[in-house]
Amino acid sequence: MPDFSTLSHPNPNTMSNEETCCSKDHNQLALIFGSLLLRLWLGVRALQTGIEKFAGTASSDAAIKIDGETNDYGLTAAESVKNYAMDHYHGVPQALMGKFEKEPLMPGFGLPLYDKLLGPTLLILGITILLGIAYRSSLFVLGLLYISLTWGLILIKEDGGVAWLGIHMIMIVGALALAQYNRLAILKKW
Amino acid sequence: MKELPTFLSRRDFLGRSLGTGLVLGAPNILRAATSGGSDKIHVAIVGFGKQAEVLFNCLKNIPGLHFQAVCDISKSKLQRGVGQIRVHQGSAPKGYEDIDEMLAAEKGLDAAIVATPDFWHSPHTVKCLDAGLHVYCEKMMAHTIDAARDMVHAMERSGKLCQIGHQRRSNPRYRYTLEQLIHGKKICGQIVNCNGQWNRSLGASADIGGEKLHKSAIVPTEVLNRYGFKDMHQYMNWRVYRDLSGGPISDLGAHQIDIFNWFLGVAPKRVYATGGNSYFKNREHFDNVMCLFDYDTPHGEVRAFYQVLTTTSYGAGFYESFMGTEASIKISEISHNSIIYREDGAPNWDDLVARGFLSRKAVPAPPPPSADAVASYESAPPEAFDLPGGFNKPAHQPHLENFFEAVRGKATLNCDARHAFESEAPIFWVNPSALSKQPIEFTKEHLHV
Repeated sequence: MPDFSTLSHPNPNTMSNEETCCSKDHNQLALIFGSLLLRLWLGVRALQTGIEKFAGTASSDAAIKIDGETNDYGLTAAESVKNYAMDHYHGVPQALMGKFEKEPLMPGFGLPLYDKLLGPTLLILGITILLGIAYRSSLFVLGLLYISLTWGLILIKEDGGVAWLGIHMIMIVGALALAQYNRLAILKKW
Repeated sequence: MKELPTFLSRRDFLGRSLGTGLVLGAPNILRAATSGGSDKIHVAIVGFGKQAEVLFNCLKNIPGLHFQAVCDISKSKLQRGVGQIRVHQGSAPKGYEDIDEMLAAEKGLDAAIVATPDFWHSPHTVKCLDAGLHVYCEKMMAHTIDAARDMVHAMERSGKLCQIGHQRRSNPRYRYTLEQLIHGKKICGQIVNCNGQWNRSLGASADIGGEKLHKSAIVPTEVLNRYGFKDMHQYMNWRVYRDLSGGPISDLGAHQIDIFNWFLGVAPKRVYATGGNSYFKNREHFDNVMCLFDYDTPHGEVRAFYQVLTTTSYGAGFYESFMGTEASIKISEISHNSIIYREDGAPNWDDLVARGFLSRKAVPAPPPPSADAVASYESAPPEAFDLPGGFNKPAHQPHLENFFEAVRGKATLNCDARHAFESEAPIFWVNPSALSKQPIEFTKEHLHV
């Protein structure tokens, strides 16, 4: 009876040099793609989160018409539109800020500083990760940033957020593990 | 919008009030005698706490103001105020701990914004008016009715403007609702009941300060004592002390009971109130108060219920409702908390919607009747509508704009001290009624300056 097992599961030990070489190439391509996808995901995640720190809403200034005429009460179109501006900047969401301020372990001087630095840091890390500038160090700093966020969320018992950041940390560790397959980088050092 | 008539002018309002036997007196001064033209208005801010910051964030949007001086007994608040103003206008205002020192030293001031604790409103406002300044003072006018009377007398004695911070009076949505919908289109039919509330959670009602207070925020005891506070707890939580404020009914209820009186155009004839310290056992003021005002309006009797709860936020926060035979209007400073219901059988509003006076509001479909409901007892669900627009400024800005337009002689005040007094006077009697568990029939002595 013929042995069919090797057809479905080729044994690397019985394969020729050429076959092993091609399989390695295939594997390497997959790892390069995997690394690139993680890099894109983490980079976009950090960059857009940083951009969203500058998001706000603006209401229309246009006075509405009532009975065919512009009203003089100052009633304007009720819809507001999302926009981005430096004035909208908020590093730590206002709703969480109040909770952090009440935490005895939260240093008083640190919170305003963190609030100022969080958005720009995310923007910078998003750009360096996406462009591949000091990729591994950027991932490491991003990991540290997520640890700091995790610490804050533990203080205020936001367990869902802690779990959410835990997933991010796994992805960062995955990206670091695949860093040797990182391609298209501007600065490979660090 | 010239063809939209203002259906209740101030003169009409006064006439109607007098016609019902209530003295809602004519204000002496509603606009400054001379227009300031495009000249800068030189402003002092008296008290730079949280409410002053709310006001300052609106004042920053009003052109033509120069902030010349700031006054606060707290060094950290004073520094904060000076810093914010310096960032805004590029030059620092002069900072003072004491208002008398400020008024003596500062020349050329035109107006003052008073945002100090309630028990200081009257002395500070009177000092500023007597010094020749126009004054915008936060509500509640004062912690006692006599102190509020002093403010009216000072306004009339000085001939200066005194606007009280009932900011809803300048809110475009409130003004439109009253003038165009209630008086103009009479969409409510006969208003029979009013209902209002401010329900606030324990978290929002908790004491401020305590051990977490940063040392830079601590005011020395001798300074606190000099300005009427026993200690830091009183200073941070003056709203819960009887000698310093009127409590929740004054702090929160004043805004909304003012709307009852403004919209109905008359003062109530009696109040029944109850309340208690259901949770905050050690507070001097009741932590929850419920009260009922009886009105005789030109259109008939109206009963208005108001509750302020500092122990729960349940029940959609804060709003005022005007319930009529043909429609009910629920209005709030929070626009999404506002809605207008047309009663089944009331005249059709399709024309009003087509012309833009109202918009239809999408509401979820009602649930199917349940087995335990008696269908024949139920009314048909009312149709829901909305105001035709919103407004895109901070809530206090239109009221401040109105004040400074009046200072320039280009507008009349929307809530001068006399009108504010006549609207606030019934509120001063809620706590006495709740404490005595007795209704209070209002007489001239209760309500008049």
